[in-house]
Amino acid sequence: MDMIYLIFLIFLSGAVISWLAGKVNHVLQDILFLASVIVPSVLFYMNVSVGQEVHFKAGGIDLSWGITDFGWIFSLIVLGLGVLAAIYSVGFMKGKERRGYFYFNYVLSIMSMLGILFSKDFVSFFIFWEIMTWSSYLMVIYNGKHTQSIGIKYFIFSAIGAYAMLMAIVISHSVTGNFMIADLITAYPVLSFNLQLLIPILLLVGFGVKAALMPLHVWAPGAYSNSPMAYTSVFSGALSKMGVYGLSIVMLSMISHLPEGFWFREVLAWMGAITAAIGTLWAVKQDDAKKLLAYSSVAQLGYIVTGIAIGTELSILAGLFLAVMHAIFKSTLFMAVGAIERQTGTTNFTEVTGLIRKMPWTFLASLMSIIALAGIPPLGGFVGKWMLYESLITSDHYMLIILVFFSSTAAFLYCYKFLFGFFLGQEEKEWAHVKEAPVLMVIPMLVLAGLSFVLGTFPGLILKPIDAGMQALGFAPTNQHLWDTSILFNSWGNQVALQPILYAILGIFVVFTIFLTIKGYKNTRYVTTKDISSSGEVPKEHENLTFSINFFQPFMRAVEPVMRRQIDKYYNGFANGLEALFDFTRKIYTGNGQTYAIYVILFLIIMLLIKNNVFG
Amino acid sequence: MDSIWYKILGVVVSFILAFIVGMTYMGLSRKIIARVQNRKGPPFYQNFIDAMKLYSKSTAIHHGLMQHLGPAFIMVSSIMTLMIVPVLNDGKWFPNLNFDGDLIFLLYIMVFGPLGMALGAGQTGNPNSAIGVTRGLSQMVGFEIPWVMALVALMMQFKTTSIVDLMEVQAQSGTWLMFSSPFAFIAAVLAMLGMFRYSPFDIVGAPTELASGPVSENGGKYLFTLMSSGAVFAFAKLTLYVDLFMGGADNLIVLLLKTFAIYLIPMLYGVVSPRYRTEQAIRYFWGWPTFFGLLAILHAVFF
Repeated sequence: MDMIYLIFLIFLSGAVISWLAGKVNHVLQDILFLASVIVPSVLFYMNVSVGQEVHFKAGGIDLSWGITDFGWIFSLIVLGLGVLAAIYSVGFMKGKERRGYFYFNYVLSIMSMLGILFSKDFVSFFIFWEIMTWSSYLMVIYNGKHTQSIGIKYFIFSAIGAYAMLMAIVISHSVTGNFMIADLITAYPVLSFNLQLLIPILLLVGFGVKAALMPLHVWAPGAYSNSPMAYTSVFSGALSKMGVYGLSIVMLSMISHLPEGFWFREVLAWMGAITAAIGTLWAVKQDDAKKLLAYSSVAQLGYIVTGIAIGTELSILAGLFLAVMHAIFKSTLFMAVGAIERQTGTTNFTEVTGLIRKMPWTFLASLMSIIALAGIPPLGGFVGKWMLYESLITSDHYMLIILVFFSSTAAFLYCYKFLFGFFLGQEEKEWAHVKEAPVLMVIPMLVLAGLSFVLGTFPGLILKPIDAGMQALGFAPTNQHLWDTSILFNSWGNQVALQPILYAILGIFVVFTIFLTIKGYKNTRYVTTKDISSSGEVPKEHENLTFSINFFQPFMRAVEPVMRRQIDKYYNGFANGLEALFDFTRKIYTGNGQTYAIYVILFLIIMLLIKNNVFG
Repeated sequence: MDSIWYKILGVVVSFILAFIVGMTYMGLSRKIIARVQNRKGPPFYQNFIDAMKLYSKSTAIHHGLMQHLGPAFIMVSSIMTLMIVPVLNDGKWFPNLNFDGDLIFLLYIMVFGPLGMALGAGQTGNPNSAIGVTRGLSQMVGFEIPWVMALVALMMQFKTTSIVDLMEVQAQSGTWLMFSSPFAFIAAVLAMLGMFRYSPFDIVGAPTELASGPVSENGGKYLFTLMSSGAVFAFAKLTLYVDLFMGGADNLIVLLLKTFAIYLIPMLYGVVSPRYRTEQAIRYFWGWPTFFGLLAILHAVFF
């Protein structure tokens, strides 16, 4: 049997077995769950090479699975994150109910995402896509809360995306006569203009829903915050990247052949940038960490879409690098929120404060990820941001860069809110009992945080597979003239050398840390956060000095006109309109037999009148 | 000559220069503001006395590791900015890293410190510190927009993102960019008002309102480090403006004259202005400065 079948078989049976094993023994269940994620991942990297394919027939349709260089980048996200988040999940789910349900859906999600990357034909692509939607939907409603408002919303948007995709698939079948993705790409340049426009738009709707692109993003904040955090790290980190994967293929191998593709790309790039700006502003407003990170995910995916839509070599590198980085730092942050939720029972900034001394490792991981998110050197986020800006400047997108820059500066606000809200500020007695999260949860976070540190100085490690993937899509090699292991270039020849910068930063930091610490830290004594000079008065024990409500009130006042409009309101208005329409039809279909009798008689009379040419 | 020790020596020398110049400017500004307000004011070297006093004081308490490291974070940002900005036109006397980073890098390293400082301020638990930080970050979102617009205009016009190249452009054409790209200069200067945090944009420290904001709870060596970092940062930013818009400087005298001229703008604007509220400050930067930023970009694109 081919290794590819074996991988999927292990996933599938692992999902079922790790569900059933819960009836026997919980430790066994955990081990089986980890095995069913880790074993196929190891098998994949050991035994499956790029270009390897399997073909088979199902229901008279030729199906074909194999991984491309481009899919391989995303497999790093899916399986790397999948394994780490699985380890985290074991710690996270300890003592929780319905672990079998969680494990089952988790393994299925990972399998379906890998399946999407493997699919070379639309049928298996669509099937895996639907498994992904279903398993994530079941995770969204895992805790049984808000199944109506959040679960249904997610499902409706996924369904809209799926139908759009299905239509595109049917159209493509009518054009090419089979379901192969490669055949559509070959046939695309000679299609009629209407089809050339229709197929990408339909596909982009399908992918845009998963990538939470405005105006299809409204499901994301609710769905991300309602699923268990152990899963949300995969949901936001990897699952949304499937949208990016599809979108990149559509943009790079179809739209780029279109003479009018320029406008298509511009519109999408602007949509990405607007998504980023709006998402950021809403993230700043949130008081709940899950919601904050959810909106932040929407915003970050906006940058990624912008990068890919611009379509220059540097911008695509930037978009894909940001995709990898986002998977790393955002999943770490969701894991940190999960750890805090597990230890304190809440994720609301207005309730929990001052955890830095209680959960130092969680703080360290969050700090690194926040620095990466904010795009501050020397961490990995900076590399992506730098390439994005340079690509926007060198390709003359002068207004777009302002919007992107605005949203990434405004992102500092919610970055600080996240760190301050949870870890800094007044230490309240209420949270004095809190302890660090279990080791199983801390280690994946630290591993991911360490990764974002390494990639900040040696981005070449991940740019190399990205470059290979881009070459598979027909781009020229970009090594040496846009990037080297630790140097970045733009197309005007300007550069950033990351190694000297890292050493300089570390050097200065160490020197001044020593300067401050000599005769400093050891001889001084720690005082509580109540022992402060608040305008010369010493606050009493019972005085509440916590500052967390209306954290960015002045900023929110300044941007208030933008926030007044909400796309969600329009959707709700549309839904209300539909409901009114249904109400109206209810007046016709009264359910009363006599009314129906009148309808029949009226119909007959009208028919008779028509027959007797009364109207004519 | 180009060894690592030579570079480190260059950094130390530039640091000492920046420290002395920055401190003197801050002292002069106190004197000038006092004279405008018809007070006698402290002598111009008062800041050195303050710094020495703070340095020699021993600290008794700290509020945890983050607060302890906060000043080191902000120092990283100040010195890195100084290391990316060429001090004089020929890099011989003050060798630094300016070939390893460009303007986009500079924009980001400049916010590294404030964010680290904000974390330190956050750990003290003083609500005034946190309020100051939120104001500072909000104001930063305000002034970064015209500032970036000005930089984007320059970068687009001359097809480079390197500071050295922009200085080269001015040396070759013989005109300063403040004359050849006037709108970018206006937008950048208006953004600078927020960057230097003199009134009406002194909403972060906000004397008598926030009790010096983020830096409260810091004393002794901590405050000394913060103060010297402020001085170094001010010098680095002024040098950046001189490099970008006034053709850089060939020797130290010219550099001092030009930087002080630029420094007078936010100071004198501040002397006669009362303090803005935070949202007013943000909206100020999104008004005229952004308009000039747009003009600068249009100018760069069409001329």
